[in-house]
Amino acid sequence: MTGAVFLETYKQTWKQMVYWGLGLAALGLLVVVMVPLFDMQQMKELLESFPPFILAMVGVGNDLEVFATNEGFVAIGFFGKSALVFAVYPVVMGMRITADEEDNGIMDMQLSLPVQRMRLVIEKFAAYSVSIVGLVVMIYLGMYAGVAISGIELDMARLTEVTFYLVPVMIFIMAVTMVIAAIIRRRQIALGLMTAYIIVSFMLQTIGAAAEGTIAESIGSVSFFTYYNAANIMTDGFVAAHLVGFFGLSALFLAAAVYRYERRDIGV
Amino acid sequence: MASTPVIETSRLSKTYGSGSRQTLALDNLSMTVNRGEVFGFLGPNGAGKTTTIRLLLDLIRPSSGSARILGMDARDDSVDIRRRIGFLPAELNLWPGRTGNQIIYYMASVRGDSKGIVKHADELAEQLKLDTTKRVRDLSSGNRRKLGLVLAMMHEPELLILDEPSSGLDPLMQQTFHEMMQGYRDKGKTVFLSSHVLSEVQAICDRAGILRDGDLKAVETIDKLTNVEFRWVNVRFRDAIPDGLTAELRQSDAISQLDLNGSQATMRLLGDFDPLLRIIGQGYVEDLRVEEPSLEDIFLAFYSSEEGGR
Repeated sequence: MTGAVFLETYKQTWKQMVYWGLGLAALGLLVVVMVPLFDMQQMKELLESFPPFILAMVGVGNDLEVFATNEGFVAIGFFGKSALVFAVYPVVMGMRITADEEDNGIMDMQLSLPVQRMRLVIEKFAAYSVSIVGLVVMIYLGMYAGVAISGIELDMARLTEVTFYLVPVMIFIMAVTMVIAAIIRRRQIALGLMTAYIIVSFMLQTIGAAAEGTIAESIGSVSFFTYYNAANIMTDGFVAAHLVGFFGLSALFLAAAVYRYERRDIGV
Repeated sequence: MASTPVIETSRLSKTYGSGSRQTLALDNLSMTVNRGEVFGFLGPNGAGKTTTIRLLLDLIRPSSGSARILGMDARDDSVDIRRRIGFLPAELNLWPGRTGNQIIYYMASVRGDSKGIVKHADELAEQLKLDTTKRVRDLSSGNRRKLGLVLAMMHEPELLILDEPSSGLDPLMQQTFHEMMQGYRDKGKTVFLSSHVLSEVQAICDRAGILRDGDLKAVETIDKLTNVEFRWVNVRFRDAIPDGLTAELRQSDAISQLDLNGSQATMRLLGDFDPLLRIIGQGYVEDLRVEEPSLEDIFLAFYSSEEGGR
């Protein structure tokens, strides 16, 4: 039956999605509730005394005016600082598409069923994508509750934009993980490579942001973190081309993973 | 017209690795398994049994050669083939947090007609005395094996492919399993099972193939495999065995592996009984027991003759 793999995958995942969602929603709520406790002007003056590299490291960037607003504080304090945390969930899900089940031998049972490898990969990818949407909805609800509790003024349309922009980014990370696992086959090696990719991307973006006008900035543009700048989205909205880029690359990686997975031996 | 073989392989080979680390796991395997038979695939660990099964299921791809299952190409028609077969791997791994019922329902859903399949799964679970409400992580290895058998058989496949099926089952359950396989054959269905438990193959298989180092050494009926020239003979004399009789036993060409223990002699007898009877007739024989060679003996004999020939 079409959709059976999707349903089963989702059934096996929803609890973890809820746990992750509760944790991240609580974190978001906390950041929003903390907004009235800070004097933004004082904070801006303090940060002005920091060297640009340090500001880039903590995700503030060069535009301190943005940080002095409620929107900027939330964007940088939550979305900017938690960028690496947001990357963990899609990596875990990406590993589950093929690598985990191949590594622990479950894939032999899955593929003894009348299901094409392509269908298996696509349905699992879809199920985990839905779980990412669910996770982001929970994060949004946490922040929405924070706004209601603290009573701060926040551009809710922009908050919605920056929160839901996590969906294509997380799906992209999941797709990269999946394609690496499909090519490499060995779970531990794939996980190591993916971790390295995320850390290097983060470093490139940080260095690039701190060294405007240099070659480091150009190199930083290779990092996917460069295209998820929460502060910019909060102030100017998201860039449609970036959104298309994330979804387009995810689709490309999905196709590459299916292609590779269809043609190689299943590991044990 | 003869019916199409259920399994037919033609010069099927599989090599792992590349360069100096290349390993030949299966070498030009050509064999057929016919409809309605229980076929045993015998061999020690690392002989290539699991590789063959994984090739048949299209989990891995052959380096050369081809396989046809139920008249279809094992690669091109693998989804249609898997609709009509049941599979139990040697090491059954399932999602530890899911219950037997949840896994049965999922696999039945993928196969379609989940209602009918689940109903049959319940019957099989009852027959095997399996509690399907437990999570996989809470099942003993024997019960996991039972769950694997239920999953393999619940859709009543035309062909069952079982890798070391009864390992982990207690003797009573092994008996139940043997009966289930015989029932399967009686319904005209086919079973292909790999095993290194030769008594199991002897008990339930019609034919067996002997595999070693990826090379198929022989395919014979079980009757023919067991019809070898030697037997084990145990003779118990009333008194201590006279020296002269011992010397004659040792000198006889028909007798080997002689083991003397007080008034008892155990030996391997090749050919007719008459030479032995003439020798032991010199003493007072209290008891005489003859054992047919087990498949283990045949296995060893087969391998030693192969190696001797090299």
